[in-house]
Amino acid sequence: MTGRHEKGVMSMETAASASHTTTGEAGRKLELYFGPQHLGMVGNFSITLEVEGDRIRKATANPGYLHRGFEKLMEYRTWIQNFPLVCRVNVVEPDSMEMIYAMGVEKLAGIEVPERAHFVRSIYLELARVGSHLFGLWAYANMLGFDTVAQWAMYHRDLVLDLFEELTGGRVYHIYIWPGGVRRDFPKGFKDKIVSTLHSIGGCVPDYDTAFFNNRLFYDRSAGIGTVGCEEAKRMGATGQTLRATGVDFDIRKVDPYAAYDRVDWDVPTREDGDAYSRIWVVRDEMIESVHMIFKLLEAMPDGEVYHRIPNPFKWDIPKGEAYVRCESSRGELGLYLVSDGGDKPHRVHFRTPSYTNGLVILEKMLEGASIADVGNIMISLYVVAPEIDR
Amino acid sequence: MSGALKKGIEATFRDARVETPGDGRVTVFVPAESVPAVVHYLKERGFDHLTMVSCVDRPDDGELEVVYILSSYTNDPRLHVIVKARVPREGGGLGTVIGVFPNAEPYEREIHELFGANFEGHGRLIPLFLEREYAIPPFRKDFDSRKYVEETFDSIPAVQDE
Repeated sequence: MTGRHEKGVMSMETAASASHTTTGEAGRKLELYFGPQHLGMVGNFSITLEVEGDRIRKATANPGYLHRGFEKLMEYRTWIQNFPLVCRVNVVEPDSMEMIYAMGVEKLAGIEVPERAHFVRSIYLELARVGSHLFGLWAYANMLGFDTVAQWAMYHRDLVLDLFEELTGGRVYHIYIWPGGVRRDFPKGFKDKIVSTLHSIGGCVPDYDTAFFNNRLFYDRSAGIGTVGCEEAKRMGATGQTLRATGVDFDIRKVDPYAAYDRVDWDVPTREDGDAYSRIWVVRDEMIESVHMIFKLLEAMPDGEVYHRIPNPFKWDIPKGEAYVRCESSRGELGLYLVSDGGDKPHRVHFRTPSYTNGLVILEKMLEGASIADVGNIMISLYVVAPEIDR
Repeated sequence: MSGALKKGIEATFRDARVETPGDGRVTVFVPAESVPAVVHYLKERGFDHLTMVSCVDRPDDGELEVVYILSSYTNDPRLHVIVKARVPREGGGLGTVIGVFPNAEPYEREIHELFGANFEGHGRLIPLFLEREYAIPPFRKDFDSRKYVEETFDSIPAVQDE
Protein backbone atom coordinates (compact mmCIF):
# COMPACT_ATOMS: atom_id res chain seq x y z
CA MET A 1 0.00 0.00 0.00
CA THR A 2 1.29 3.42 -0.84
CA GLY A 3 0.25 6.67 0.77
CA ARG A 4 -1.39 9.78 -0.59
CA HIS A 5 1.94 11.39 -1.39
CA GLU A 6 2.91 8.74 -3.91
CA LYS A 7 -0.42 9.15 -5.65
CA GLY A 8 0.72 12.66 -6.45
CA VAL A 9 -1.54 14.51 -4.06
CA MET A 10 -0.11 17.64 -2.53
CA SER A 11 1.89 17.08 0.64
CA MET A 12 3.47 19.70 2.89
CA GLU A 13 6.91 19.40 1.31
CA THR A 14 5.67 19.84 -2.23
CA ALA A 15 2.89 22.29 -1.50
CA ALA A 16 5.05 25.17 -2.70
CA SER A 17 3.14 25.20 -6.01
CA ALA A 18 5.35 22.77 -7.90
CA SER A 19 8.34 20.48 -7.73
CA HIS A 20 10.67 20.31 -10.66
CA THR A 21 13.27 18.19 -12.34
CA THR A 22 15.45 19.14 -15.28
CA THR A 23 15.55 17.02 -18.38
CA GLY A 24 18.39 17.63 -20.81
CA GLU A 25 17.61 19.67 -23.91
CA ALA A 26 13.88 19.41 -23.55
CA GLY A 27 14.03 22.06 -20.86
CA ARG A 28 12.39 22.11 -17.49
CA LYS A 29 9.72 19.60 -16.61
CA LEU A 30 7.33 20.64 -13.87
CA GLU A 31 4.81 18.82 -11.81
CA LEU A 32 1.74 20.98 -11.34
CA TYR A 33 -1.22 20.39 -9.08
CA PHE A 34 -4.58 21.34 -10.49
CA GLY A 35 -7.29 21.36 -7.81
CA PRO A 36 -9.02 20.59 -5.52
CA GLN A 37 -8.76 24.33 -4.71
CA HIS A 38 -8.78 25.88 -8.16
CA LEU A 39 -11.14 28.17 -10.02
CA GLY A 40 -11.31 25.88 -13.01
CA MET A 41 -11.99 22.79 -10.94
CA VAL A 42 -15.54 21.46 -10.65
CA GLY A 43 -15.31 20.20 -7.11
CA ASN A 44 -13.44 17.85 -4.81
CA PHE A 45 -11.17 16.39 -7.42
CA SER A 46 -7.61 17.03 -8.46
CA ILE A 47 -5.29 16.33 -11.35
CA THR A 48 -1.51 16.12 -11.25
CA LEU A 49 -0.05 17.52 -14.43
CA GLU A 50 3.43 16.89 -15.74
CA VAL A 51 4.12 19.93 -17.89
CA GLU A 52 6.84 21.22 -20.17
CA GLY A 53 6.34 24.88 -20.92
CA ASP A 54 2.56 25.19 -21.02
CA ARG A 55 2.07 21.78 -22.67
CA ILE A 56 0.88 18.83 -20.63
CA ARG A 57 2.95 15.70 -21.04
CA LYS A 58 1.03 13.47 -18.68
CA ALA A 59 -2.03 13.86 -16.46
CA THR A 60 -2.98 11.79 -13.43
CA ALA A 61 -6.46 12.06 -11.99
CA ASN A 62 -6.73 11.88 -8.20
CA PRO A 63 -10.21 11.06 -6.93
CA GLY A 64 -11.02 10.14 -3.33
CA TYR A 65 -11.77 13.50 -1.71
CA LEU A 66 -15.45 12.59 -1.55
CA HIS A 67 -15.25 8.85 -1.00
CA ARG A 68 -17.98 8.19 1.53
CA GLY A 69 -18.21 4.45 1.00
CA PHE A 70 -21.93 4.61 0.19
CA GLU A 71 -21.91 1.19 -1.45
CA LYS A 72 -20.58 -0.36 1.75
CA LEU A 73 -22.96 1.65 3.96
CA MET A 74 -25.88 0.43 1.89
CA GLU A 75 -25.08 -3.15 2.89
CA TYR A 76 -25.88 -2.18 6.50
CA ARG A 77 -29.27 -0.64 5.73
CA THR A 78 -32.59 -2.07 4.60
CA TRP A 79 -33.67 -1.77 0.99
CA ILE A 80 -35.88 1.23 1.70
CA GLN A 81 -33.47 2.97 4.08
CA ASN A 82 -31.02 3.26 1.19
CA PHE A 83 -33.03 5.83 -0.75
CA PRO A 84 -31.60 8.85 1.13
CA LEU A 85 -28.11 7.51 0.36
CA VAL A 86 -28.47 6.78 -3.35
CA CYS A 87 -29.61 10.28 -4.24
CA ARG A 88 -26.50 11.72 -2.61
CA VAL A 89 -24.21 9.82 -4.98
CA ASN A 90 -24.78 12.48 -7.61
CA VAL A 91 -25.46 15.84 -6.04
CA VAL A 92 -26.30 17.62 -9.28
CA GLU A 93 -28.82 15.10 -10.58
CA PRO A 94 -30.03 12.84 -7.75
CA ASP A 95 -33.18 11.80 -9.61
CA SER A 96 -31.66 9.30 -12.00
CA MET A 97 -29.93 7.68 -9.01
CA GLU A 98 -33.31 7.15 -7.35
CA MET A 99 -34.64 5.80 -10.62
CA ILE A 100 -31.84 3.30 -11.12
CA TYR A 101 -32.06 2.02 -7.56
CA ALA A 102 -35.86 1.67 -7.77
CA MET A 103 -35.46 -0.15 -11.10
CA GLY A 104 -32.98 -2.56 -9.54
CA VAL A 105 -35.21 -3.32 -6.55
CA GLU A 106 -38.25 -3.72 -8.82
CA LYS A 107 -36.38 -6.14 -11.05
CA LEU A 108 -35.19 -8.28 -8.13
CA ALA A 109 -38.56 -8.28 -6.36
CA GLY A 110 -40.64 -8.59 -9.56
CA ILE A 111 -42.72 -5.45 -8.91
CA GLU A 112 -44.82 -3.94 -11.71
CA VAL A 113 -45.20 -0.18 -12.10
CA PRO A 114 -48.55 1.40 -13.15
CA GLU A 115 -48.67 3.03 -16.58
CA ARG A 116 -49.26 6.53 -15.23
CA ALA A 117 -46.26 6.20 -12.92
CA HIS A 118 -44.06 5.48 -15.96
CA PHE A 119 -45.14 8.81 -17.44
CA VAL A 120 -44.74 10.69 -14.16
CA ARG A 121 -41.24 9.23 -13.79
CA SER A 122 -40.25 10.21 -17.32
CA ILE A 123 -41.49 13.78 -16.91
CA TYR A 124 -39.74 14.04 -13.56
CA LEU A 125 -36.48 12.67 -14.97
CA GLU A 126 -36.59 15.02 -17.96
CA LEU A 127 -37.14 18.00 -15.65
CA ALA A 128 -34.10 16.80 -13.73
CA ARG A 129 -32.13 16.60 -16.97
CA VAL A 130 -33.05 20.19 -17.84
CA GLY A 131 -32.04 21.31 -14.34
CA SER A 132 -28.79 19.38 -14.47
CA HIS A 133 -27.89 20.67 -17.94
CA LEU A 134 -28.57 24.25 -16.81
CA PHE A 135 -26.24 23.65 -13.89
CA GLY A 136 -23.64 22.24 -16.29
CA LEU A 137 -24.08 25.27 -18.53
CA TRP A 138 -23.56 27.51 -15.51
CA ALA A 139 -20.26 25.75 -14.72
CA TYR A 140 -19.06 25.89 -18.31
CA ALA A 141 -20.06 29.48 -19.02
CA ASN A 142 -18.63 30.61 -15.69
CA MET A 143 -15.33 28.90 -16.42
CA LEU A 144 -15.09 30.65 -19.81
CA GLY A 145 -15.88 34.03 -18.28
CA PHE A 146 -19.46 34.34 -19.56
CA ASP A 147 -20.74 35.42 -16.17
CA THR A 148 -24.06 36.80 -17.39
CA VAL A 149 -25.02 33.59 -19.19
CA ALA A 150 -23.94 31.62 -16.12
CA GLN A 151 -26.25 33.65 -13.90
CA TRP A 152 -29.16 33.17 -16.32
CA ALA A 153 -28.60 29.41 -16.28
CA MET A 154 -28.51 29.35 -12.49
CA TYR A 155 -31.72 31.41 -12.32
CA HIS A 156 -33.51 29.10 -14.74
CA ARG A 157 -32.32 26.04 -12.84
CA ASP A 158 -33.88 27.56 -9.75
CA LEU A 159 -37.22 27.73 -11.55
CA VAL A 160 -36.95 23.97 -12.16
CA LEU A 161 -36.08 23.45 -8.49
CA ASP A 162 -39.26 25.37 -7.57
CA LEU A 163 -41.22 22.73 -9.46
CA PHE A 164 -39.42 19.97 -7.56
CA GLU A 165 -40.12 21.70 -4.28
CA GLU A 166 -43.82 21.81 -4.97
CA LEU A 167 -43.92 18.20 -6.16
CA THR A 168 -41.70 16.53 -3.57
CA GLY A 169 -41.03 18.97 -0.73
CA GLY A 170 -37.28 19.08 -1.41
CA ARG A 171 -35.30 21.32 -3.71
CA VAL A 172 -32.09 19.34 -4.20
CA TYR A 173 -32.78 15.83 -2.92
CA HIS A 174 -36.28 14.62 -3.68
CA ILE A 175 -36.63 10.89 -2.93
CA TYR A 176 -39.72 10.86 -5.12
CA ILE A 177 -39.30 7.65 -7.12
CA TRP A 178 -40.05 4.58 -5.05
CA PRO A 179 -40.23 0.86 -5.85
CA GLY A 180 -43.69 0.36 -7.36
CA GLY A 181 -44.11 3.89 -8.69
CA VAL A 182 -43.72 7.38 -7.28
CA ARG A 183 -44.57 8.73 -3.82
CA ARG A 184 -47.53 10.88 -4.87
CA ASP A 185 -49.35 12.09 -7.93
CA PHE A 186 -48.95 15.56 -9.43
CA PRO A 187 -50.72 18.13 -7.23
CA LYS A 188 -53.63 20.14 -8.64
CA GLY A 189 -52.59 22.55 -11.37
CA PHE A 190 -49.04 21.17 -11.50
CA LYS A 191 -49.22 20.32 -15.20
CA ASP A 192 -49.89 23.97 -16.02
CA LYS A 193 -47.02 25.06 -13.81
CA ILE A 194 -44.62 22.74 -15.65
CA VAL A 195 -45.81 24.15 -18.99
CA SER A 196 -45.51 27.79 -17.92
CA THR A 197 -42.08 27.28 -16.33
CA LEU A 198 -40.75 25.52 -19.42
CA HIS A 199 -42.22 28.22 -21.66
CA SER A 200 -40.45 30.93 -19.71
CA ILE A 201 -37.13 29.03 -19.88
CA GLY A 202 -37.64 28.12 -23.54
CA GLY A 203 -38.45 31.73 -24.36
CA CYS A 204 -34.89 32.66 -23.40
CA VAL A 205 -33.22 30.22 -25.80
CA PRO A 206 -32.70 32.98 -28.43
CA ASP A 207 -30.97 35.07 -25.74
CA TYR A 208 -28.73 32.16 -24.80
CA ASP A 209 -27.92 31.62 -28.47
CA THR A 210 -27.02 35.25 -29.08
CA ALA A 211 -25.00 35.68 -25.91
CA PHE A 212 -23.31 32.31 -25.82
CA PHE A 213 -23.90 29.51 -28.32
CA ASN A 214 -23.50 31.66 -31.44
CA ASN A 215 -20.89 33.85 -29.82
CA ARG A 216 -17.57 33.90 -31.61
CA LEU A 217 -15.68 33.85 -28.28
CA PHE A 218 -17.33 30.58 -27.27
CA TYR A 219 -16.39 29.04 -30.61
CA ASP A 220 -12.80 30.27 -30.41
CA ARG A 221 -12.32 28.92 -26.91
CA SER A 222 -13.89 25.50 -27.43
CA ALA A 223 -13.59 24.36 -31.05
CA GLY A 224 -10.90 21.73 -31.44
CA ILE A 225 -10.36 21.50 -27.67
CA GLY A 226 -10.43 18.03 -26.09
CA THR A 227 -11.17 16.25 -29.35
CA VAL A 228 -11.89 12.54 -29.43
CA GLY A 229 -12.88 10.39 -32.41
CA CYS A 230 -15.82 8.03 -32.52
CA GLU A 231 -13.84 4.77 -32.46
CA GLU A 232 -11.49 6.03 -29.77
CA ALA A 233 -14.43 7.17 -27.62
CA LYS A 234 -16.06 3.74 -27.92
CA ARG A 235 -12.79 2.01 -27.12
CA MET A 236 -12.55 3.98 -23.87
CA GLY A 237 -16.14 3.19 -22.91
CA ALA A 238 -17.59 6.67 -23.44
CA THR A 239 -21.32 7.28 -23.17
CA GLY A 240 -23.54 10.36 -23.00
CA GLN A 241 -22.53 13.66 -24.62
CA THR A 242 -18.91 12.55 -24.96
CA LEU A 243 -20.01 9.81 -27.35
CA ARG A 244 -22.93 11.63 -28.95
CA ALA A 245 -20.66 14.56 -29.82
CA THR A 246 -18.70 12.14 -32.05
CA GLY A 247 -21.75 11.30 -34.14
CA VAL A 248 -22.97 8.13 -32.40
CA ASP A 249 -26.67 8.28 -31.46
CA PHE A 250 -26.24 5.98 -28.46
CA ASP A 251 -28.76 6.82 -25.77
CA ILE A 252 -30.08 4.27 -23.25
CA ARG A 253 -33.51 5.92 -23.38
CA LYS A 254 -33.65 4.90 -27.04
CA VAL A 255 -31.72 1.62 -27.22
CA ASP A 256 -33.00 0.04 -23.98
CA PRO A 257 -36.14 2.05 -23.15
CA TYR A 258 -37.42 2.28 -19.59
CA ALA A 259 -40.20 4.38 -17.96
CA ALA A 260 -42.29 5.91 -20.78
CA TYR A 261 -39.53 6.84 -23.22
CA ASP A 262 -40.83 4.48 -25.91
CA ARG A 263 -44.38 5.89 -25.69
CA VAL A 264 -43.59 9.21 -27.41
CA ASP A 265 -41.54 10.24 -30.42
CA TRP A 266 -38.27 12.10 -29.86
CA ASP A 267 -34.79 12.47 -31.35
CA VAL A 268 -31.28 11.93 -30.07
CA PRO A 269 -29.22 15.08 -30.82
CA THR A 270 -25.71 14.39 -32.09
CA ARG A 271 -22.75 16.34 -33.44
CA GLU A 272 -19.80 15.17 -35.51
CA ASP A 273 -16.61 16.84 -34.29
CA GLY A 274 -16.09 15.28 -30.85
CA ASP A 275 -14.65 18.45 -29.29
CA ALA A 276 -15.75 20.64 -26.36
CA TYR A 277 -17.76 22.86 -28.73
CA SER A 278 -19.75 19.85 -29.98
CA ARG A 279 -20.33 18.50 -26.48
CA ILE A 280 -21.79 21.77 -25.22
CA TRP A 281 -23.99 22.04 -28.32
CA VAL A 282 -25.26 18.52 -27.68
CA VAL A 283 -26.13 19.62 -24.14
CA ARG A 284 -28.09 22.59 -25.51
CA ASP A 285 -29.96 20.49 -28.07
CA GLU A 286 -30.75 17.86 -25.46
CA MET A 287 -32.30 20.44 -23.16
CA ILE A 288 -34.58 21.62 -25.94
CA GLU A 289 -35.44 18.04 -26.89
CA SER A 290 -36.26 17.28 -23.24
CA VAL A 291 -38.64 20.24 -23.09
CA HIS A 292 -40.44 19.03 -26.24
CA MET A 293 -40.53 15.52 -24.80
CA ILE A 294 -42.11 16.73 -21.55
CA PHE A 295 -44.89 18.47 -23.53
CA LYS A 296 -45.56 15.26 -25.47
CA LEU A 297 -45.53 13.14 -22.30
CA LEU A 298 -47.94 15.50 -20.54
CA GLU A 299 -50.24 15.24 -23.53
CA ALA A 300 -50.15 11.43 -23.66
CA MET A 301 -50.23 10.80 -19.90
CA PRO A 302 -53.05 8.41 -18.92
CA ASP A 303 -55.12 8.62 -15.74
CA GLY A 304 -54.85 6.04 -12.98
CA GLU A 305 -52.75 4.95 -10.05
CA VAL A 306 -49.16 6.15 -9.61
CA TYR A 307 -48.21 3.56 -7.04
CA HIS A 308 -48.47 -0.21 -6.59
CA ARG A 309 -48.46 -1.32 -2.98
CA ILE A 310 -45.26 -3.03 -1.86
CA PRO A 311 -44.90 -5.29 1.20
CA ASN A 312 -44.18 -3.65 4.56
CA PRO A 313 -40.85 -1.99 3.77
CA PHE A 314 -39.53 -2.54 7.29
CA LYS A 315 -39.87 -6.33 6.98
CA TRP A 316 -39.13 -6.74 3.33
CA ASP A 317 -36.98 -9.63 2.18
CA ILE A 318 -36.01 -9.38 -1.49
CA PRO A 319 -35.63 -12.73 -3.30
CA LYS A 320 -32.11 -14.01 -3.81
CA GLY A 321 -30.61 -13.00 -7.14
CA GLU A 322 -28.76 -10.33 -9.05
CA ALA A 323 -29.74 -7.59 -11.44
CA TYR A 324 -27.99 -5.19 -13.77
CA VAL A 325 -30.14 -2.23 -14.73
CA ARG A 326 -29.25 0.98 -16.52
CA CYS A 327 -30.68 4.33 -17.48
CA GLU A 328 -29.50 7.51 -19.18
CA SER A 329 -28.56 10.17 -16.67
CA SER A 330 -27.73 13.66 -17.85
CA ARG A 331 -24.09 12.56 -18.10
CA GLY A 332 -24.35 9.21 -19.84
CA GLU A 333 -24.99 5.60 -19.05
CA LEU A 334 -25.79 5.06 -15.40
CA GLY A 335 -25.80 1.43 -14.32
CA LEU A 336 -26.45 -0.51 -11.15
CA TYR A 337 -25.28 -3.98 -10.31
CA LEU A 338 -27.35 -5.21 -7.40
CA VAL A 339 -26.95 -8.53 -5.58
CA SER A 340 -29.41 -9.86 -3.02
CA ASP A 341 -28.81 -12.86 -0.77
CA GLY A 342 -32.51 -13.12 0.06
CA GLY A 343 -32.36 -10.86 3.10
CA ASP A 344 -33.73 -7.46 4.10
CA LYS A 345 -30.49 -5.71 3.12
CA PRO A 346 -28.51 -5.75 -0.14
CA HIS A 347 -25.50 -8.06 -0.37
CA ARG A 348 -23.68 -5.82 -2.83
CA VAL A 349 -24.46 -2.54 -4.56
CA HIS A 350 -22.24 -1.11 -7.27
CA PHE A 351 -22.99 1.93 -9.41
CA ARG A 352 -21.58 2.42 -12.88
CA THR A 353 -21.41 6.18 -13.09
CA PRO A 354 -20.63 8.02 -16.33
CA SER A 355 -18.21 10.45 -14.63
CA TYR A 356 -16.06 7.51 -13.54
CA THR A 357 -15.08 6.72 -17.14
CA ASN A 358 -15.10 10.38 -18.22
CA GLY A 359 -13.01 11.64 -15.31
CA LEU A 360 -10.54 8.81 -14.83
CA VAL A 361 -9.97 7.40 -18.31
CA ILE A 362 -10.99 9.87 -21.01
CA LEU A 363 -9.84 13.01 -19.15
CA GLU A 364 -6.32 11.64 -18.59
CA LYS A 365 -6.10 10.74 -22.27
CA MET A 366 -7.46 14.08 -23.52
CA LEU A 367 -5.13 16.15 -21.35
CA GLU A 368 -2.02 14.62 -22.90
CA GLY A 369 -0.62 17.30 -25.19
CA ALA A 370 -3.20 19.90 -24.19
CA SER A 371 -2.38 23.39 -22.93
CA ILE A 372 -2.61 24.25 -19.21
CA ALA A 373 -5.19 26.92 -20.04
CA ASP A 374 -7.56 24.26 -21.42
CA VAL A 375 -7.62 21.92 -18.43
CA GLY A 376 -10.77 23.38 -16.88
CA ASN A 377 -12.37 23.69 -20.29
CA ILE A 378 -11.82 20.01 -21.14
CA MET A 379 -12.81 18.81 -17.71
CA ILE A 380 -16.09 20.73 -17.51
CA SER A 381 -16.98 19.94 -21.11
CA LEU A 382 -16.69 16.25 -20.15
CA TYR A 383 -19.26 16.94 -17.45
CA VAL A 384 -17.25 15.36 -14.64
CA VAL A 385 -18.98 15.37 -11.24
CA ALA A 386 -16.65 14.36 -8.40
CA PRO A 387 -19.19 12.72 -6.00
CA GLU A 388 -20.23 10.38 -8.79
CA ILE A 389 -16.68 9.13 -9.20
CA ASP A 390 -15.97 8.54 -5.52
CA ARG A 391 -19.39 7.33 -4.35
CA MET B 1 -28.59 -14.59 -30.52
CA SER B 2 -27.95 -15.81 -26.98
CA GLY B 3 -28.29 -19.49 -28.07
CA ALA B 4 -25.60 -19.15 -30.74
CA LEU B 5 -23.42 -17.22 -28.32
CA LYS B 6 -23.75 -19.95 -25.70
CA LYS B 7 -22.71 -22.63 -28.23
CA GLY B 8 -19.80 -20.51 -29.48
CA ILE B 9 -18.41 -19.82 -26.01
CA GLU B 10 -18.78 -23.40 -24.83
CA ALA B 11 -17.13 -24.73 -28.00
CA THR B 12 -14.18 -22.33 -27.75
CA PHE B 13 -13.61 -22.43 -23.99
CA ARG B 14 -14.16 -25.92 -22.66
CA ASP B 15 -13.96 -24.84 -19.01
CA ALA B 16 -16.62 -22.12 -19.43
CA ARG B 17 -20.23 -22.60 -18.33
CA VAL B 18 -22.97 -20.44 -19.85
CA GLU B 19 -26.41 -19.68 -18.41
CA THR B 20 -29.18 -17.84 -20.28
CA PRO B 21 -31.90 -16.83 -17.79
CA GLY B 22 -33.84 -15.22 -20.65
CA ASP B 23 -34.12 -11.59 -19.51
CA GLY B 24 -31.59 -10.30 -22.02
CA ARG B 25 -28.76 -11.54 -19.84
CA VAL B 26 -26.14 -14.17 -20.57
CA THR B 27 -23.97 -15.26 -17.66
CA VAL B 28 -20.62 -16.89 -18.36
CA PHE B 29 -18.72 -18.61 -15.55
CA VAL B 30 -15.03 -18.97 -16.33
CA PRO B 31 -11.86 -19.83 -14.43
CA ALA B 32 -9.82 -16.76 -13.46
CA GLU B 33 -6.99 -17.47 -15.91
CA SER B 34 -9.35 -17.43 -18.94
CA VAL B 35 -10.89 -14.01 -18.26
CA PRO B 36 -8.77 -11.90 -20.69
CA ALA B 37 -9.24 -14.49 -23.47
CA VAL B 38 -13.02 -14.74 -22.94
CA VAL B 39 -13.43 -10.95 -22.79
CA HIS B 40 -11.38 -10.61 -25.99
CA TYR B 41 -13.50 -13.31 -27.66
CA LEU B 42 -16.69 -11.45 -26.72
CA LYS B 43 -15.33 -8.14 -27.98
CA GLU B 44 -14.56 -9.74 -31.34
CA ARG B 45 -18.20 -10.87 -31.48
CA GLY B 46 -19.68 -7.42 -31.09
CA PHE B 47 -19.69 -6.90 -27.32
CA ASP B 48 -17.55 -3.82 -27.70
CA HIS B 49 -18.70 -1.94 -24.60
CA LEU B 50 -17.29 -2.89 -21.21
CA THR B 51 -19.97 -1.35 -19.03
CA MET B 52 -18.37 -2.02 -15.68
CA VAL B 53 -16.23 -4.36 -13.62
CA SER B 54 -17.51 -5.24 -10.19
CA CYS B 55 -16.62 -7.55 -7.34
CA VAL B 56 -18.75 -9.47 -4.85
CA ASP B 57 -17.36 -10.92 -1.64
CA ARG B 58 -18.46 -14.51 -0.99
CA PRO B 59 -17.07 -15.22 2.49
CA ASP B 60 -18.98 -18.52 2.83
CA ASP B 61 -17.06 -19.95 -0.13
CA GLY B 62 -13.83 -18.16 0.82
CA GLU B 63 -13.83 -16.50 -2.60
CA LEU B 64 -14.16 -13.18 -4.38
CA GLU B 65 -16.35 -13.06 -7.46
CA VAL B 66 -15.10 -10.61 -10.09
CA VAL B 67 -17.86 -9.60 -12.49
CA TYR B 68 -17.42 -8.08 -15.97
CA ILE B 69 -20.53 -6.66 -17.60
CA LEU B 70 -20.38 -6.29 -21.38
CA SER B 71 -22.87 -4.94 -23.86
CA SER B 72 -22.76 -3.59 -27.39
CA TYR B 73 -22.87 -0.11 -28.88
CA THR B 74 -24.50 -1.33 -32.07
CA ASN B 75 -26.11 -4.77 -32.26
CA ASP B 76 -28.88 -5.45 -29.75
CA PRO B 77 -27.77 -3.23 -26.86
CA ARG B 78 -30.41 -4.84 -24.64
CA LEU B 79 -28.33 -8.01 -24.46
CA HIS B 80 -25.79 -8.19 -21.64
CA VAL B 81 -23.03 -10.67 -21.09
CA ILE B 82 -21.94 -11.04 -17.49
CA VAL B 83 -18.59 -12.78 -17.16
CA LYS B 84 -17.88 -14.12 -13.70
CA ALA B 85 -14.63 -15.48 -12.33
CA ARG B 86 -13.90 -16.58 -8.79
CA VAL B 87 -10.57 -16.17 -7.05
CA PRO B 88 -9.53 -17.15 -3.51
CA ARG B 89 -9.96 -14.34 -0.98
CA GLU B 90 -6.34 -14.65 0.14
CA GLY B 91 -3.74 -14.09 -2.55
CA GLY B 92 -6.19 -14.48 -5.41
CA GLY B 93 -5.38 -12.89 -8.74
CA LEU B 94 -6.45 -12.73 -12.34
CA GLY B 95 -5.14 -11.22 -15.56
CA THR B 96 -5.90 -7.61 -16.42
CA VAL B 97 -8.22 -6.81 -19.35
CA ILE B 98 -6.82 -3.29 -19.93
CA GLY B 99 -5.32 -4.52 -23.21
CA VAL B 100 -8.84 -5.27 -24.47
CA PHE B 101 -10.78 -2.46 -22.75
CA PRO B 102 -8.72 0.53 -21.46
CA ASN B 103 -11.64 1.67 -19.28
CA ALA B 104 -11.13 -1.37 -17.04
CA GLU B 105 -8.10 0.40 -15.53
CA PRO B 106 -9.76 2.33 -12.66
CA TYR B 107 -12.23 -0.49 -11.98
CA GLU B 108 -9.41 -2.99 -11.45
CA ARG B 109 -7.58 -0.48 -9.27
CA GLU B 110 -10.72 0.01 -7.20
CA ILE B 111 -11.31 -3.73 -6.77
CA HIS B 112 -7.69 -4.21 -5.75
CA GLU B 113 -8.00 -1.46 -3.18
CA LEU B 114 -11.43 -2.27 -1.74
CA PHE B 115 -11.51 -6.08 -2.04
CA GLY B 116 -7.88 -7.13 -2.26
CA ALA B 117 -7.98 -9.03 -5.56
CA ASN B 118 -4.79 -8.79 -7.58
CA PHE B 119 -4.67 -8.01 -11.29
CA GLU B 120 -1.53 -9.27 -13.00
CA GLY B 121 -0.07 -6.95 -15.61
CA HIS B 122 -1.97 -3.89 -14.42
CA GLY B 123 1.03 -1.65 -13.75
CA ARG B 124 -0.68 0.97 -11.58
CA LEU B 125 -2.36 -0.84 -8.69
CA ILE B 126 -1.91 2.12 -6.35
CA PRO B 127 -4.73 3.38 -4.10
CA LEU B 128 -7.56 5.12 -5.91
CA PHE B 129 -9.77 6.45 -3.10
CA LEU B 130 -8.37 5.70 0.34
CA GLU B 131 -5.61 7.40 2.26
CA ARG B 132 -5.36 5.14 5.31
CA GLU B 133 -4.12 1.60 5.50
CA TYR B 134 -6.52 -1.13 6.47
CA ALA B 135 -5.83 -4.58 7.92
CA ILE B 136 -8.73 -6.02 5.90
CA PRO B 137 -9.71 -4.52 2.53
CA PRO B 138 -12.63 -2.34 3.62
CA PHE B 139 -15.37 -3.54 1.27
CA ARG B 140 -15.08 -7.15 2.39
CA LYS B 141 -17.90 -8.58 4.46
CA ASP B 142 -15.70 -9.19 7.52
CA PHE B 143 -14.70 -5.51 7.68
CA ASP B 144 -17.02 -3.96 10.26
CA SER B 145 -17.44 -0.27 9.37
CA ARG B 146 -19.06 0.72 12.66
CA LYS B 147 -16.38 -0.99 14.77
CA TYR B 148 -13.65 0.60 12.68
CA VAL B 149 -15.16 4.06 13.08
CA GLU B 150 -15.52 3.65 16.85
CA GLU B 151 -11.95 2.44 17.24
CA THR B 152 -10.38 5.00 14.91
CA PHE B 153 -12.40 8.12 15.67
CA ASP B 154 -13.30 7.48 19.33
CA SER B 155 -12.46 11.04 20.33
CA ILE B 156 -15.52 12.19 18.42
CA PRO B 157 -18.65 11.28 20.42
CA ALA B 158 -20.59 8.72 18.40
CA VAL B 159 -24.37 8.44 18.33
CA GLN B 160 -25.25 5.71 20.81
CA ASP B 161 -27.72 2.95 20.03
CA GLU B 162 -30.47 2.64 22.63
